Amino acid sequence: MKTKIIKSRLLVFSALLLLTGQAAFSQEELEKELAVPAAGREKVSATFKSTKLINGHTNETLFKNELDFKVDHRFGDIAGSNGGIRKFFGLDNSTDVRIGFEYGLTDNLTIGLARAKGATAVQQLYEGSIKYRLLQQTTDNHIPFAVTLFGSNTIAAVTANKDDASSPIAYNGFKDRQNWVAQIILARKFSSNLSFTLTPSYVHRNFTAFRDQNDMFAIGVGGRFKFTRRMALVVDYFLPFRDKSDKAYLEQVTATKFYNPLGVGLEMETGGHVFHLNFTNATGIQEMQFIPQTTSSWLKGQYRWGFSISRRFSFAH
Amino acid sequence: MKNTCLFMLFILLSCSVNAQQILICNNAKASFFSSTVMEDIEGKSAAGGSVIDTKSGNIIFKVKNTSFQFKKKLMQEHFNENYMESDKYPVSEFKGTIKGPVNMDVDGTYKVSIEGNLNIHGISKAYKTQADLVVGKGMLNANAVFKVKIADHGIEIPTLVFKNIAEYVEVRIQATYLPKK
Repeated sequence: MKTKIIKSRLLVFSALLLLTGQAAFSQEELEKELAVPAAGREKVSATFKSTKLINGHTNETLFKNELDFKVDHRFGDIAGSNGGIRKFFGLDNSTDVRIGFEYGLTDNLTIGLARAKGATAVQQLYEGSIKYRLLQQTTDNHIPFAVTLFGSNTIAAVTANKDDASSPIAYNGFKDRQNWVAQIILARKFSSNLSFTLTPSYVHRNFTAFRDQNDMFAIGVGGRFKFTRRMALVVDYFLPFRDKSDKAYLEQVTATKFYNPLGVGLEMETGGHVFHLNFTNATGIQEMQFIPQTTSSWLKGQYRWGFSISRRFSFAH
Repeated sequence: MKNTCLFMLFILLSCSVNAQQILICNNAKASFFSSTVMEDIEGKSAAGGSVIDTKSGNIIFKVKNTSFQFKKKLMQEHFNENYMESDKYPVSEFKGTIKGPVNMDVDGTYKVSIEGNLNIHGISKAYKTQADLVVGKGMLNANAVFKVKIADHGIEIPTLVFKNIAEYVEVRIQATYLPKK
């Protein structure tokens, strides 16, 4: 009797197994069979579209074997005593022009050469730069932000002023013409539309005007808000840490005031080209000028229209 | 008792048949090719996942958009950022049915048609394509080539690069399936 029960149970059981074995899987059931591709640790890409925001750098470097050709232009004051209709809102003047080439030696290491007019008395600038991507943010936040290092050396080729020893260009030899910049660029992409930078910076000028600072620390902040797939609002701001008595002395002697550079602009990306249309109170384009030498104020109408055009060529094959 | 043993054997057999029913591939290759007078663009992934139910002929294929590799990395960045919007639509997938008999127990080449929905960039569209299935050594090797019209999936090409990107891209799929263990 007992064996009979067991037998019949086995029969039912095996029949059930057979049935399930033969039944087709629905799409939903089938999908469960497919191992979900692990979310994995991916590097966050395209935190910014360009290696620069307006005045400051972003954490982005070029990919290996890419050449970036970039032209930056800053016009004269739009308003204020040096602007207005007489100066065609600054378009009659250009405070600084820069032509630069950058090349990606590896995906993480970019070198650059540039020529800039220079905005103050320190003119005819040649810049050599190096930018190294140390850390990349990851999608799983194992690395919550990116870290890129930037360093540059700018040499002023302007004729030395031998008559006035207090002049910023009273150079005595080649060493005086050199200016160094070191930056640690921290960046985070909060969403596909929103990215920020925080840039502790150090500027060392081998030679400056009398009582101007050779060494200066500054902190930069920047952001990008993408409002369409190809257009974004970009902003950056630098806060230099200046010695108070030196500042007061210089402001009195030169009858100018120091301001902190603030830029706002529109970024347009067309697939290879990146255009920036921007407004900033900074007259210089090089870090060694706009950080320590911005003497024009937004509030006095001393902001200018500027643009940059960047074209990336890839020689990867 | 003899009967019980027979039943057990039968159950075991049916189980092994059951295991053969699901075919899985975790390293399927997917690539697409866009060719214009201006530029040839190719993206390749070897990280597709696919599963087939031989009983119903149902097939699912998934590939992560960020797994596509390009020769020019700036293109790869543009592909994910501007065209596929991979952060919003991370996966491209096909869900469909193989029309035509495929017998895993008989080695040979089967020409079949596959019908289903292809979802790219969050937009689904019905597709029908031919595929070559080769059964041998308990494996199934699948190859398919079909064309995808970019505009069908809501992917906009800006006028400036309109001449660089083809209206139709050729998609190639190659996958080797093994029975689920």
